[in-house]
Amino acid sequence: MSQVQGGIGIINLSAGDPSLVNEIKELGGEELLECIQCAKCAAACPMVLAGFPFFNKRVIQAILLGLRDALLDDSSIWACQSCNRCTEVCPREVNPFEIIQAMRRVAIREFALPTLAIEGLKSLYDTGHAVYLAGAGNTRAKVGLPEKPPSTLSYPEALKEVRTILENTELAELGVIPMGESGVTDSCEV
Amino acid sequence: MKVGFFIGCNTSFNRPDLEQAVRHAFPALGIELDDLEGQSCCPTWGTLPSVDVVGWCAVSARNHTIAEQKGLDIVTVCGSCYGSLSEAKYKMEVDPELKAKVNEVLQTIGREYKGTSNVRLTYYYLYHEIGPEKIRASLKYTLGGLKVALQPGCHTLWPSKVYYDKEEDPFHPRVLKEMVEALGATVGHYTRLIDCCGMGAMRSTDMEKSLNLFRRKILSIKEEVDPDLIITGCSSCLIQFDTAQEMLRREKKINFEIPVLHFMQALAICLGADPEKVAGLARTNVKSVIGKILPS
Ligand code: SF4
Ligand code: SF4
Repeated sequence: MSQVQGGIGIINLSAGDPSLVNEIKELGGEELLECIQCAKCAAACPMVLAGFPFFNKRVIQAILLGLRDALLDDSSIWACQSCNRCTEVCPREVNPFEIIQAMRRVAIREFALPTLAIEGLKSLYDTGHAVYLAGAGNTRAKVGLPEKPPSTLSYPEALKEVRTILENTELAELGVIPMGESGVTDSCEV
Repeated sequence: MKVGFFIGCNTSFNRPDLEQAVRHAFPALGIELDDLEGQSCCPTWGTLPSVDVVGWCAVSARNHTIAEQKGLDIVTVCGSCYGSLSEAKYKMEVDPELKAKVNEVLQTIGREYKGTSNVRLTYYYLYHEIGPEKIRASLKYTLGGLKVALQPGCHTLWPSKVYYDKEEDPFHPRVLKEMVEALGATVGHYTRLIDCCGMGAMRSTDMEKSLNLFRRKILSIKEEVDPDLIITGCSSCLIQFDTAQEMLRREKKINFEIPVLHFMQALAICLGADPEKVAGLARTNVKSVIGKILPS
């Protein structure tokens, strides 16, 4: 059943999912229940200025009401700039940005993540860089730099370390990206 | 003086001229750069930080350990790297349990995170370790006669609790202003100074909304300052300001172009670097403004 009905946004409270609150708290949003919905965070948020329907305060409100589907059906949480204006101004130390991140973590566990996020993770596993441009070697040479930076690209044993880390964290259990095979490196711009 | 240079993905692959600017300016001011061989992505916000806290901090901590083993602090020129590396460090500091979990993961690659290296942003590092006066005295050329608008960038400011170098009031930043004035420019104030530029996750999610946000900002700059040059403190802002003006012009939403440089590029040019190397990938027309900096 849809939790937000029709175009006028009437919220059906009894359709809310109370387990969402605990999930958020477990995935990094520990201070969720400290929020008093004062909206100081919203006043500082670029997402509000840009016109996204869900931003820090509204994401928190929707979580408290258990509106899981409404949050998952909307891409707003992926537009958060990680700018932490909200964390700076919140009078209750809720860390609203962390709540948005926790909601992303919920979404990923339901495979509701944007293609670009998958590509970024795959690129991180394949090259050690989430942002990787295949033609970058030429660009670097043009300004007089070696084609590869002194990163995982130049040091295979370093890339192996990054992969081992990824294989030993939750990313591996979630199965969002293929692991273990040697990756094909394509361009990826997150 | 020596410091570890954390380059970051966007600077390495998208704007390596900015990497060159750092590689020129630091040694010219007497600071040796270490390559932190084997560094990876910081990791950036839309990847591991959006998956789980331990994984995020483990990849970050691995980068930290490279600097720790050499006894060096880390400098980066990228706002996102600065934010992600600083925040992970802060998290592990206030949460020893998290730090222990991260070290369990790091054991699989024979590393241990201690938390002994500080994370610094290039121009804050120079501000505190060298100082505007000494920098002014080292310049070969200056930005004298140029009117400049600033773009400090989100990640240099908030959340202030996680950063080693802090502004007195992050909503009224002054370090970038003092540094640009040290180069000889006149800095103009505009009301949307600390607004977000719209780069990053917002641009990846909704280009139109991102461009609208950017337009509000660039119009405020044009109307209130009408500068010869915009100087950014963040590499992501540099990319947005350098590419989004062209997009808006194509849509006939603005009818002007303001050249854009990162602070480190402007500094490197004033220290005598070859503009082709340290600013050669700019899409906006920086040639005319560089022509005003260098003697003809
Ligand atoms: S997160 Fe903080 S600033 Fe935002 S509404 Fe809740 S209490 Fe207010
Ligand atoms: S971190 Fe995200 S939610 Fe917080 S102010 Fe910035 S864009 Fe808004």
